Amino acid sequence: MKLLSNKTLMLLLLIISGSGYIISCTHDDDLLLPPPASNTVVITRGTHIHLPGTLTTGDSTQWKVDKAHSGVLWSTNYVGAAGLLTGRFNQFGIHNVTDAEKQNYITTGQPVKDTSWAFYENEPAKTYFNGYVQINTSNTGEPGRDAGCNIKAMGTTLIVPGTQNLTDSNIAQIHTTKVEFDPLSNDYIVTLNLTWHGLSPTPITQSIVGKLKYVPQARVQFGTAAAYSVFGLQLEFQFNCRDFLVASTSISDKINIECNMNFNNK
Amino acid sequence: MNTSFYAYLQQLELLGFFTGYPLLYAATLFIAGNQPVKNNLKSRVVSLLPFAYALVGTLYLGLQLKNLYPHYSFENVRLSIQHPWLTGWAILAVLFWIPFLAKKKVLSLFHSLVFFFLFVSDLLSNLKQPSSGAAAIRNDMKIYTGSLLFNLSAFALVVCLFFIANYFKRKSQ
Repeated sequence: MKLLSNKTLMLLLLIISGSGYIISCTHDDDLLLPPPASNTVVITRGTHIHLPGTLTTGDSTQWKVDKAHSGVLWSTNYVGAAGLLTGRFNQFGIHNVTDAEKQNYITTGQPVKDTSWAFYENEPAKTYFNGYVQINTSNTGEPGRDAGCNIKAMGTTLIVPGTQNLTDSNIAQIHTTKVEFDPLSNDYIVTLNLTWHGLSPTPITQSIVGKLKYVPQARVQFGTAAAYSVFGLQLEFQFNCRDFLVASTSISDKINIECNMNFNNK
Repeated sequence: MNTSFYAYLQQLELLGFFTGYPLLYAATLFIAGNQPVKNNLKSRVVSLLPFAYALVGTLYLGLQLKNLYPHYSFENVRLSIQHPWLTGWAILAVLFWIPFLAKKKVLSLFHSLVFFFLFVSDLLSNLKQPSSGAAAIRNDMKIYTGSLLFNLSAFALVVCLFFIANYFKRKSQ
């Protein structure tokens, strides 16, 4: 093809191609999306106040821990790398166990009352709670581990049937130091002290930040039984078990704790 | 033209392989032709255009064989190919491996213009569609751009192979 016809062909092809590109670059058919309604988190809080009082049965103003339907769960990555290893503590309570109360009790139930707490939905500064777990009641569903290596690794002693061991070496305690609103949700940010003796010669205390979720009060009734109210508190936090001298390589440094507490006013 | 989606996809395949060639052809000749003195090297490079086109045709043939694998019966081929005449025409591009045909490089342009006209007619028909037309044109242009790059790559590969072969040929002499 001669130069002239090459130029003509080139021009023609460029015009066609350029027109195609120009037409395809218009955005006439782009969907016009409506603006988002709002990106702000909607936070609604009520004014519920829940107090334990003296735990008098039948007093609907006094809230009792429903231990049978509550739980303190732990989880950690097996060998620090694999899936979760999980367990729960069979014995726990919401009580500030004082030095005088740190002893063995010959009883099957919890020997101390679940009264060391208060919850104010709209005044978190007034909210507080103190709780404990009996370390040797950790239950992973493997008796060989729970009554075996677990006891040694946690620096405690085996369960004695009919006895509640609230001695210093067998309990881990939490004491809240500050509760405040979570600005991003309906939940609360909780600062607490975790105290655990474990393998250390003296108890170790670490300040930890966790998250508290309030499951609002609701009225329930089953069959012809009298109606009653319930509410829930879910506390989640993490701690580093190496801070408490736990050396077991079967578990990760990070231990997740989830406390699911259900209350009723029966 | 068969308006089924499958047929449309096969048409896009054809456009993707062959529509970029005419512009590559014109640009190459334009660049080579603008030089005051045509040196031997440039005329050699231009003469490789039909081989690049033959390479594109061969790759298209390979794609069709891969799509049909392992059922190469006449019945299956007849049912699978939605544009038999266009597909047959496209496969004819492999004939440009024959040096006799490759010497007449303008034939490769004429061969590819069939697909370019198909592309232009598709653009024009999409212009008349108020709702889906712009999106279809955008898609066509993406395929056209891809085809340009694909043909350019094929040409670059052929030129490289040519020079490598030439280098070893000279070395052995």
